[in-house]
Parts: sequence; C-alpha cells; structure tokens
Amino acid sequence: MTSTVHLEIPASGAYLAVVRAAATGLAAQLEFTYEEIDDLRIAVDEACTQLLARRGSATTLNVAYHLNDAELRVDVSIEAPDRGDPLARDTFAWQILSAMTDEVREQSETGRLWLSFRKAGGRG
Amino acid sequence: MTEVPNAGRVHQEPDAAANGATQLNGRSVDRGHAKDLFRRFVETRNPALREELVGLHLPLVEYLARRFRNRGEPLEDLVQVGTIGLLKAIDRFDLEREVEFSTYATPTIVGELKRHFRDKGWAVRVPRRLQELNLSLNKVVAELSQEIGRSPTIAEIATKARLPEEEVLEGYAVVSLDAPAGGEDAPAVSEHIGAEDESLEALEYRAALGPLIAGLPERERRILYLRFFGGMTQSQIAARLGISQMHVSRLLNRTLAVLREGLLEDEEIG
Repeated sequence: MTSTVHLEIPASGAYLAVVRAAATGLAAQLEFTYEEIDDLRIAVDEACTQLLARRGSATTLNVAYHLNDAELRVDVSIEAPDRGDPLARDTFAWQILSAMTDEVREQSETGRLWLSFRKAGGRG
Repeated sequence: MTEVPNAGRVHQEPDAAANGATQLNGRSVDRGHAKDLFRRFVETRNPALREELVGLHLPLVEYLARRFRNRGEPLEDLVQVGTIGLLKAIDRFDLEREVEFSTYATPTIVGELKRHFRDKGWAVRVPRRLQELNLSLNKVVAELSQEIGRSPTIAEIATKARLPEEEVLEGYAVVSLDAPAGGEDAPAVSEHIGAEDESLEALEYRAALGPLIAGLPERERRILYLRFFGGMTQSQIAARLGISQMHVSRLLNRTLAVLREGLLEDEEIG
C-alpha cells in the first residue's frame, strides 16, 4: 500500500530546508540508513534547485513523497507555462540525481515540468 | 563566531586590499597580462581564459577571505565562497572602466563572503543543546557503523544513543549540513587525478560549471568525482581518503551548495 505526502512551498530556495526535513523524516520511517538519507537529501535539493532555476513566473513548487514498502518516490514539479526545457541528461545535475537514486525521470506536460526519482532503502 | 560581522570596515579599503593581494605570496599580478587576458576573454568568452583569470586573482580572494576567518569557518570554504564573487566580477568587468580589476572585484568578493555569513546566520545560532547533540550523534554513528559494518538507520542510532527518534532527526540537519568545523580536517589529499578530471570536465563545460569546479580544493573535487562518477558510497570514499563518513558528507554538501549558489539568487523567507 502506498501512502503519499504532499508539500507545496513558495517557489524559493529559502524553503528547501522544509523539503529536506520532510524527506528525512519519511525516509527514517522507511528505515533508510544514515547514508541513504544523506543521498536522498542531496537528490531532493538538486531536483528542487533545478526546477526553481527554471521557474519563470511560477510561484509555487510541489513535492509529493510516495512511500511504498522500503521505497520512496519523490515527484517534484513546477508550473512552466512558457514550456521551459526539461533537464538534459548530459548535465552535472542529472549525473548527481542518477548517482544518488535508483531511477530518475523528467517530464514536461500540461504546462508543468516534472522531475521524479525513486530510491529504495535498507541496503546498507 | 561571537562577533557580529562588521559591515563597514572591509568595504572602505578596496585599494589596500588590492595592493595587499599583489604583494601576497611574492606573486604579483602582472597588470598588463591581466588586461590582455581580459581583452581576449571579453571577445571570446573562452572558459579557459576565465579559468586563467580566476587563477591570477586567487591571491586577492585568499587575502579577503582571511579577513573573515575568525568566524568559525575553515579558510578553504571561505576561499570557495569568495571565488564565486570573483567569477561574478570577472563576468561583469568592463574594460572601458578606468579602474583596476582588483579594485572593481573587491566589493563583489566581500559581498559574497558577507552574504555567506548572513545566509548561515541561523546555523551560527544553533543552540548549544543541538551542538552537543550533534557531537554525540557523530560518535554514535561512527561506532555503530564499525559495529554493524554499514551505515545505521535512524532507529538504530536512537536506540544506541537512548534518544527518541525525533531528537535524532532534529540533530540531523545540524550534523549533515552545518556541523561546526574543526578538529577533523585531515591533510589535503594530493594525489593526481587526471582521469577523474577529464570526466568531470566533459560535463563541466556544458554545464558552465567549469571554473567553479576548477576552483574547488583538490580533495573536494576528488570526493565529487568518486561519489557522482565513481559510484563509491560515502563510507568507501571515507575509507579511501582516511577521513570519517560524516566528514565526507559535510564536504560533499558544502561543495554542492557552492556549485548551486549561482542558480538561485538571493532569497529569504518572507
């Protein structure tokens, strides 16, 4: 069974601490190890920062945490009416995201940009 | 750390700073050479020239960073922060201005350093209770990792430390991002990292991160490489470099913060 936690923050880097804190708390419930949590926090930071850098006139950033067994999926999205570019795969940011998680996806649809990643815990 | 940043003093003497920098290390900045580099950089925007300009003016950054060193931050971190200011100044410098670059760049570099302290304001005010919590958690995590041969979970840390999980989580932010520096700094790793450099650089230039990454201390670059390209975990890197996993975590997080600086401009909650 999947539980989901939604977070909506102003589109500003000043609120990233909140996004990280929520990720940390949820990952602790899934029994992620200390290091896995650290990786998760880096990934969350990176995904949010990349979307905020493309925010244009958007005022909010949305984060959804999906908890499923020992796995956490995080979807970060931002309104992008001006059809900003999704994150290219040859960037350092993409490299960070894929090194820190098990799977990364980007999507741009219905006027929103999405970055999602999946991370399983408990492997030590 | 107890001292409130003195906003006015540093600002008033950019020329003195510039002169100081030119005398520093007995390595004087050849102004003609710098001008020529700037001329070519403005025309071509060639990242290699930019990097050379950064190298040329690094003594100025070091000089200015030293003025902020009594506030509990390692000098090398301050130099990184100052280098961001230097990069901004290089990108904005206008040759038509009848002013030396060092004079022009000083307020930008100092501004960056001050902003760094202002942004970190909350971290500096971390209550003593949390600082102590952080220290004891550091110890517990290190011991547990040894015992069980892997990174512990929050629940395991809580049991061992006889603290509620909530409290461990509370200590987490302090531990991972804003731990007071000191004591643990191992000597810089000075192995050569040729192949590692290449794969970083391949990405760097596309991402325009080149000069920033080039400006990182060698150990930070190495950690960046090993974690993001080498597929090594923090513990493995720690073992390889002879420092603790927590220390790797801290250096990694700091480095990323520096690299991300340019992406989001000055923001405060409100």
